[in-house]
Amino acid sequence: MFAAHLPPLAGSLFSLLSITSLLLAFVMLGSRWLNAYLGAFALQSWLIALLSAAVAYYGDYPELYGIAALTALFRGLVLPYLLLRITRRLNVDRELHERLSPSSSLVVGGLLVVFAFVVSAHLGATLGLTGTIAVLALTTMLSMKLIGFLMLMVRSEVVSQILGLLVIENGIFLGSQILVPGMPLLIELVILFDLLVVVACFGVLVRYLVVHAGTTSTRDLKRLVG
Amino acid sequence: MIRPILLQIAQILTVLSLAPLVQGLILQWEERVQRAQGPGIFQPYRDLWKLFHKQLVVPETASFIYWAAPVVAFTCMLTVPILIPVLTNFPLPLSDMGDILGGGLILTLASFFITLAGLDSGSAYGGIGSSRAVMLGILAEPTLILVFVGITLLAKSMLPFVVNHLLVGQPAVYWSPAHLFLVAAFFILLLVETDRLPIHSSTHIEVYMIEEGRILEYSGPLLALLKWASAMKQFLLYTIFCNVLLLPWGLSLQGTALGALGAAGGLLVKFAAVGAVVVAVETAQSRLRYYRYQEPLAASFLLALLAIVANQLR
Repeated sequence: MFAAHLPPLAGSLFSLLSITSLLLAFVMLGSRWLNAYLGAFALQSWLIALLSAAVAYYGDYPELYGIAALTALFRGLVLPYLLLRITRRLNVDRELHERLSPSSSLVVGGLLVVFAFVVSAHLGATLGLTGTIAVLALTTMLSMKLIGFLMLMVRSEVVSQILGLLVIENGIFLGSQILVPGMPLLIELVILFDLLVVVACFGVLVRYLVVHAGTTSTRDLKRLVG
Repeated sequence: MIRPILLQIAQILTVLSLAPLVQGLILQWEERVQRAQGPGIFQPYRDLWKLFHKQLVVPETASFIYWAAPVVAFTCMLTVPILIPVLTNFPLPLSDMGDILGGGLILTLASFFITLAGLDSGSAYGGIGSSRAVMLGILAEPTLILVFVGITLLAKSMLPFVVNHLLVGQPAVYWSPAHLFLVAAFFILLLVETDRLPIHSSTHIEVYMIEEGRILEYSGPLLALLKWASAMKQFLLYTIFCNVLLLPWGLSLQGTALGALGAAGGLLVKFAAVGAVVVAVETAQSRLRYYRYQEPLAASFLLALLAIVANQLR
């Protein structure tokens, strides 16, 4: 397996990149401003693109360079730009009614990271991978997914909900880059297009919500309309 | 035989004599950043001298705790430098009395007694100061423990000397995310524990006071002891931050007089660097509202947690 035999320098580079992207997920979790979410998301995508390039370099997968470039372009530039357009149109620049204060959600997120840590440590011990980058990647992936779910739960603005989904997706992508680096190029392309479609759909949905319901907060959308 | 003991005494004297200087340096730089003249860097020494020559006024309601607290706090601050690498990078006599956790315990003991003294005289501001200090302690303590756990996992030991050797000897560990995140987490704790800005007010108005509020009833030599103890606490935390975590180089290897002197000089240079960062933070940050105190500490908690997670790789 690629991740089990790495030079130490590459190992610390990978761990630095993945832990920093986990930190950026926490920046999204702990901030009140939508623009801060967007900035953190863009930066996280750039870091993951760097990670892909590093995997391509150390693991000798030339097609991953292309994926790194596509990640930087789509996740790092296009998606944040589309989301920025949605937030501009909405005139909400911050999450007003969070169900959990940012510092409490940071602590809850920290507990989720501990949970992911324990789970992946057990998995790593079962597979005989203890102490390799694979376990760390697994921890980062699981924690980013859980943090994304947490964001979906405690935030009610539509834009934060999209970002929660995107964080989950970034987490899976980060994990897959390290754990199974040789995925076919086509699958990556399909995932990227999926994301574009998701964000475009959300854009349409937001427009519809603003016109017909007058709000984009899930708090106000309680009544079922037939 | 006699040299290690002399070195140990030199460590304590270094902390005792240089602590007000570091305080003065930071206070002056803060004013300079705002384009004011600022006090001289030796002003804390002059303040201490003045206070030691003032009359002692004791509140009528004060009990023996009022008298004991400054002495206990000062003694605690004299004890901690025995345990940590101030000048030499090898353990000296009595250095094995306690590990990092032991040092933390002694620092907390001093804080505990000052809190009691704040409550002792029954004044309103003392009570407010004490309750706020305890609240901060409750928020900061879990993070501190977590940072210690992180250090222990990193070095497989709780002795500060072992951590120092490890970081000097292995650059890969020094640049690993586990260590860098621990440094960041400890830096936030450093700001909180040494009365710096995201939490503490730079202007001493009674409603904002935390540390100052607890010692508002003191005057004369006892106040001087408390101020000196607080400067020493800052010096000690900076020492742990620099010599154990951030800049573990530049300590005396053999324990010669020249080496110890050089290490003391190096200590001042390191503290000036850390102080410059602290001044930058203090200038850029405004004071947080009381109910947002947990935010920097939650961030610090998280950084420590991430450091522990990152430690998985190795």
